[in-house]
Amino acid sequence: MSDYAIIGKRMPRVDSRAKVMGKAKFTADLKLPGMLVGKIKRSPYAHARILNIDTSKAEALPGVKSVVTGKDTEGVKWGVFAYTRDQEFIQTQKVRYIGDEVAGVAAVDEETALKALDLIEVTYEELPAVFDSMEAMASETELIHGDFPNNINVHVNIDTGNVDENFKKAHYIREDTFVAPEESYFQAEPYAIVARFDHEDCLEIWCPNGGPHMKSKPLSNAFKIPLHKVKVRKIAIGGAFGGRSEICPVDYICALLAKKTKKPVRIQFTREENTIATRQGHAMITTHKTGVDKDGRVLARETTCYMDGGAYSSTGPIATSVPFLSMEQAYRMGSVRYNGYRIYTNKPIRGMIRTHGRGFAAGLDTQLDMIAEHIGIDPVEIRLRNSRQPGEYTSTKSYVDSCAMDETIHKAVEKSRFKEKWGKLPPLHGIGIGTNSVQTGFPMGIRGGSQSFIKFNEDGEATVMSGVVDNGQGNDNMLVQIAAEELGLLPEDIHLVSADTETTSSDPGSYSQVSTFVGGHAVKIAAQNCRAKLFKVASKVLKVSPDKLVAQNRLIFVRDDPEKSIPIKKVVRISLLNFNSVNAEGGYWPKVDMKREWVKNPYGQMCEAFSFGTTIVEVKVDPNTGQVEVLEATAAQDVGYALNPLVLEGQFEGSIAMGGQGGMLTEYHEWNGGRCINPTMLDYKLPLACDMPPKINNIIVESVDPKGPYGAKEAGMSIAMSAAQAYSAAVSNAIGVYMDSFPLTPDKILAAIKSKES
Amino acid sequence: MEKILITLNINDKPCEVMVYPNDTLLEVLRDELDLTGSKESCGEGVCGSCTIHMDDKPVRSCLTLAMEATGTKIKTVEGLAKGDELSSLQQSFVDHGAVQCGFCTPGMLMSADALLKINSKPDEKTVRKAIAGNICRCTGYTKIVKAVAHAGNSQDHCPDCITFSKAKE
Ligand code: FES
Ligand code: FES
Repeated sequence: MSDYAIIGKRMPRVDSRAKVMGKAKFTADLKLPGMLVGKIKRSPYAHARILNIDTSKAEALPGVKSVVTGKDTEGVKWGVFAYTRDQEFIQTQKVRYIGDEVAGVAAVDEETALKALDLIEVTYEELPAVFDSMEAMASETELIHGDFPNNINVHVNIDTGNVDENFKKAHYIREDTFVAPEESYFQAEPYAIVARFDHEDCLEIWCPNGGPHMKSKPLSNAFKIPLHKVKVRKIAIGGAFGGRSEICPVDYICALLAKKTKKPVRIQFTREENTIATRQGHAMITTHKTGVDKDGRVLARETTCYMDGGAYSSTGPIATSVPFLSMEQAYRMGSVRYNGYRIYTNKPIRGMIRTHGRGFAAGLDTQLDMIAEHIGIDPVEIRLRNSRQPGEYTSTKSYVDSCAMDETIHKAVEKSRFKEKWGKLPPLHGIGIGTNSVQTGFPMGIRGGSQSFIKFNEDGEATVMSGVVDNGQGNDNMLVQIAAEELGLLPEDIHLVSADTETTSSDPGSYSQVSTFVGGHAVKIAAQNCRAKLFKVASKVLKVSPDKLVAQNRLIFVRDDPEKSIPIKKVVRISLLNFNSVNAEGGYWPKVDMKREWVKNPYGQMCEAFSFGTTIVEVKVDPNTGQVEVLEATAAQDVGYALNPLVLEGQFEGSIAMGGQGGMLTEYHEWNGGRCINPTMLDYKLPLACDMPPKINNIIVESVDPKGPYGAKEAGMSIAMSAAQAYSAAVSNAIGVYMDSFPLTPDKILAAIKSKES
Repeated sequence: MEKILITLNINDKPCEVMVYPNDTLLEVLRDELDLTGSKESCGEGVCGSCTIHMDDKPVRSCLTLAMEATGTKIKTVEGLAKGDELSSLQQSFVDHGAVQCGFCTPGMLMSADALLKINSKPDEKTVRKAIAGNICRCTGYTKIVKAVAHAGNSQDHCPDCITFSKAKE
């Protein structure tokens, strides 16, 4: 047992109270004096040249305050990397998907803004369009971006060598292809943004984001103003799941409208816009070829994946890599070759998503199950024979320090009674296992580190400043817990100032699973530095050396003689009377290989820690309807150390819902050419309370990472990924057919049952 | 279209407000009365995040015209707590970790509160059914279901859940 006072406890979250009272403010709840309503004019064509835009009628409409088009953007383009800058904030030459931005309007109210959109006349020349990766690569019509032959946007090639030789040595080889269409985030909060230029010409914005500092830098570039003049403000955020990482054109357009009108402007996306015009998950076609020895150990693997990237690059190089990385972290492979192609198509833009490549991961695990069956071992055994072990290097040369992959497998197997059930369940009942690994961060250059400042106020309470953002996962609470633990205060004594680019230092954001590991770590170090100052003062009063002191429960006391104590408040006041402020800073920069680059050099230390997860689910399939009923789910993850089990369980359960229940059974987009025909919650099937397994067993495994704060690392995402694998394995097991097209909707299940019978 | 003056009874207070006949109750609550606790996630009656009570029954305020609400008793999430004191359901949401991003929470609370009014000790299956019209993208519902089913339990100790160990102890 640890002797932490606050860390490791099931502490209810500090932000919950405001949320249950309806007081927490989300972006769409903001009202600023004189605020205008902004709307976006979007392309009705999947691929077309813009011949002319006439805004005169819209501008003449009473109540319209500004109309902006590509002419006003000075040609600035967006792309996460210098080599992927391919998206104009407002298109000037061509539109590349149905929904591409062509103009923005600010007006006194929504009705006027919508009328103005109709009055903007755009003349297009329609171009042939392509709607899937294969078609796009083979297409001989006009390229979507002139400088990318065959519409190949990104090609990630990883090769450890010896692949062909090792295939020759293999006892058994399989090659299988798996497909999955696009999925979407469906964050509860539709995207919204409020922007204004203040009296000092600073741009102030509020919007859901996966990292405020990742928004401020591109905006400062786009508006050619210093970074300190872009103030991304803190606001409650209704979910991100990887989809709110980068800036998107609407951020720029809203700010531009605010600049032109000298008024605050608010743009609120409709649910449809949130689906079409933010990001989506990639559609993927993945072929895994695996060669094993007679015991089922993977000697060689060759994976080729075609990802439908949509119209622009977005986080393309990252998204093309992460499904592979999750695989290479989770499983040892004698040798491996990976070719990941991200292909431009005339569809909405794809980005990073919590379940990175469900078809990729579920395909890999399905193939493992097939191999296990061939050589006569069970799915658990084949995973144990190939699972990552601590102290090893991944195929791309990342050292894996803490790793309790096997423990997650053993514990999940035991809890779910997998061994007793495997092969013995009644017909149409099935059980399946998935295992996965997620990286805690990735190299982000100068933005990879986080810094925190802490100041004590004269009442003995502390203000903690951190750039970490809370998208809903509980990061605010995590920071407060860490600060309270280290400073010897209670959570309610901590005032958190976070996710605000004016007052906080740079931070990598939440989307690389690094908030606790890096941002939390920075707060821990700042708090320890601050505590050292308190101890220095207290040691004089208590007449013991500082290393004999403990801070807890608003007191500083002598470890071996707890009666000897002094209130922290008093220490602060003594310090101030002696002309010493009590504040401190602290920062954490993960030691990663800065030369590692997604495309040019995909080798070297990726991050300092990796998490490992196993999910097992048991299902029952109705042969008449093809419906899947999930009886029980068990999720076990090596999270390093559980800072707050209550919050972690919530991440596990949410991951089962998104990665497994939704991601493997119901969620996908349908298309008519380039038009998404199910962009709303009515047509896109999200899991409901009544759909979820009645029982979810959460198993927290702690490997105590030597570098993580208190030993903590990523939590939750390994479950989202392994849940997708477990759901597909369980259904395949229930119907006796290995499924290769995801998600497993009733029509596919019925067809599989039928094909088996005939 | 002309605006019309109507009187609404919201959280036990009469409010006079000018509305267009086609204004939804959600728009009037959020834009005219500054009651932004009720959220719009879908705007078409699917997600439940705009749920309020009309005469103790859960209603989707995005599909209800403000004019239809005259003469009824409306309760919004802002009306659940008594001043600073949370209702036992709200406290249960906090203690069970049923709130993540919190965007679905107001609607979820209103649906659950309506259930508890007619069934103070619902089993989990009943809870799942009662909140089946409320979409939560974050939690996977487990903790929400527990929070509702156990709302009547003492807040220091919830028999079916691990005892809440408050950080202070
Ligand atoms: S906003 Fe009313 S049901 Fe979704
Ligand atoms: S808590 Fe985020 S949608 Fe329910």
